[in-house]
Amino acid sequence: QAPSKDAVRQLCQECFSSPPAALGPLAQRACPGLAAGPEEAEQLVSALHNLTRHVVYRGLTRAEDILSLFPENFHQNLKNLLTKIILENISAWRNEAQASQISLPRLVDMDWRVDIKTSSDSIIRMAVPTCLLQLKIQEDAALCGNNPVVSALTVELSKETLDTMLEGLGRIRDQLSAVANK
Amino acid sequence: MGLLNFTRDPVPEAVSGDMHNLNQLSAQQFSALTEVLFRFLTEPKEVERFLTQLSDFATMNKISLGPLKNIVKSILLVPNGALKRNLSSEQVRADFIALGLSEEKASYFAEQWKVNSPTLTRLAVGQTLMINQLIDMEWKFGVTAGSSELEKVGSIFLQLKLVIKKGSQLENVYVELTLPQFYSFLHEMERVKASLESFS
Repeated sequence: QAPSKDAVRQLCQECFSSPPAALGPLAQRACPGLAAGPEEAEQLVSALHNLTRHVVYRGLTRAEDILSLFPENFHQNLKNLLTKIILENISAWRNEAQASQISLPRLVDMDWRVDIKTSSDSIIRMAVPTCLLQLKIQEDAALCGNNPVVSALTVELSKETLDTMLEGLGRIRDQLSAVANK
Repeated sequence: MGLLNFTRDPVPEAVSGDMHNLNQLSAQQFSALTEVLFRFLTEPKEVERFLTQLSDFATMNKISLGPLKNIVKSILLVPNGALKRNLSSEQVRADFIALGLSEEKASYFAEQWKVNSPTLTRLAVGQTLMINQLIDMEWKFGVTAGSSELEKVGSIFLQLKLVIKKGSQLENVYVELTLPQFYSFLHEMERVKASLESFS
């Protein structure tokens, strides 16, 4: 139902580049051009986003591999067109992905606890405080489709390490203030 | 032999003989040997250097290396046990005397123990088990590319790279934070610092 091949091409590019959070607004903008309802547009945009990203991250390069991703009764010409568009854009998209590192995992939650170490095989009695930090990290949604994998990583920081980390975080905060004040 | 401070286990028989031999050294020789021992205790990775220095000591003082090594093994029993049990220099002195070392040498060693124990304790604490110890942290800012003039173009996010020691291997963990997440993280870490300081 798209007005032209170029319109399809344009939409594919926008769907790939858009982070998951921006797909909603993108779908809304695409509605008029496609003469489709908002829900259909959202589904379409989401599907294109997942498809294009899947191809890039899995490193698919052959037409056959891409064609095989489509369901069996998919419209033949459209399938070929989409595959052609994707192949045209693959290397540019791969560069874009690397440059903006779209595929980095995201922090979703964080917990901490302070323990006092009272004994170990090297010292029978001590009272050393230590911090346990748990980060819940979600792998990039594009890689996992609708079931993003969240892993929990527990890290231990001694007081010295924490002080060094806080120095680093302070520098980040200063850099952010400098940018905000420009 | 009465109850010792540095160990609950029975002491090997050879130890009294070794202490007797140790008593034969002059004060100067004993002082030089003690220095070699503490240098090793404070830098336990320098095994080769330690062995070289022992060998030099043996040659310079015309002692056979074999017996010297046995003596050293016996001496080291005390500081190793003392470190585990947070012994005072008084207790270290008492133990050496109980083992048969002369009062003069026992006092000298105990003095050196007092001087070196902060360093030694810190080393022992450092050797204590740590779970996924954080070794290093690097960061980079990223900017999201907006695709419309209505959206905020160029919102900043933070990419952290954490270097973690898992067992004996290092692993890199990459994680992205939004700015609100970063400020929240910073705030929480400051609370952790306050907590750790209240226990020190």
